[in-house]
Amino acid sequence: MAAPLRTFLACSGLSRDRLSGSRAGWWAWLLQRVTGLGLVLYIFLHIGVISTAQLGADTFDDVLAVLQTPIFVVLDLLLATAVVYHGLNGVRVILIDLGVGVSRQAELFWACLVLTALTMATVTFFSLPLIVRG
Amino acid sequence: MDPSTAAPPSVGASGFWQWFLQRVSGLLLIALVGVHMWMGHFSGLADVIAGSQEELVLYDIVERRLAQGLFIFVDFSLLALVLYHGLSGLRSVLLEWGPAARRGDQVSIGLLLLGVVTFAYGAKVLLVFIL
Repeated sequence: MAAPLRTFLACSGLSRDRLSGSRAGWWAWLLQRVTGLGLVLYIFLHIGVISTAQLGADTFDDVLAVLQTPIFVVLDLLLATAVVYHGLNGVRVILIDLGVGVSRQAELFWACLVLTALTMATVTFFSLPLIVRG
Repeated sequence: MDPSTAAPPSVGASGFWQWFLQRVSGLLLIALVGVHMWMGHFSGLADVIAGSQEELVLYDIVERRLAQGLFIFVDFSLLALVLYHGLSGLRSVLLEWGPAARRGDQVSIGLLLLGVVTFAYGAKVLLVFIL
C-alpha cells in the first residue's frame, strides 16, 4: 500500500476522539493539509502574476484588470476562505500544543469553521459590488 | 485525536526548531497576511465602488504604498515568512511519503534552494516598484 494512503488511513483510525467519538480532529488535520498545499501553489502563482510589473506599468495594470473581473473576485473569495481557515486552525493547533483546550479539540474545530464562515460572509457582503459590477 | 496536535517535541529534541519556527512564522503571517489582504482588497474598495478609482490594485497604488518604509518591511517580511512557512509545511508533508523520506536531505536541500531562488526573484519584483 502506498505510504501516503497508509498515513491517511492510520490517521483516519486515530481520528475518533475517545470521549466524544468525534472525527473533528481528523477533518481539521485534513483541511489544514489541503488548504496548506493549495496556498503553497498559490504563492508561486501570485509571485508570477506580480512579476508582470517587470514588463511595465501598463502590462501590470492590464493583467491585474483581468484578475479583478467578477469571476476572479469569486476565486479570490475561495482563496480567502482557505487563508482564514488555515490561520484559525493554526491558532487552534498552537493552543492545543500549549495545553489549552486539549479536551475540547472538537469544539475548537467547530469554532474555527463558524468563525471562518462569519468572516467570509462579511467579506463576501462587502465584495458583492465587485462581483455584480459590469 | 488530531494528528497535527500530537505532543510537540521537547526543547533540543530532533525536529524541535522546525516545529517551533513553523508556529512562530504562522502567527506572524496572520498579522502580515491580514495587512496585505486589507491593503490589496479593501483599502480602496469604497473608491472603486464610488467610481473614483478604476481598480483595487493598480501599478501606481502599489508604487505609492511601497514608497513607505513600513510597507517595504511588511512586503519583504511577508515574502520571506510565507516562503519559509509554506515550504517547511510542504517538507513535512513530503517526508511522510516513504520514497521522499528516504531522500530526506535531498528533499530539504531542494526545497531550501527553491525558497532562496523564489525569494530572490520576488525581491527583484518588489524592487521594480521601489527603485
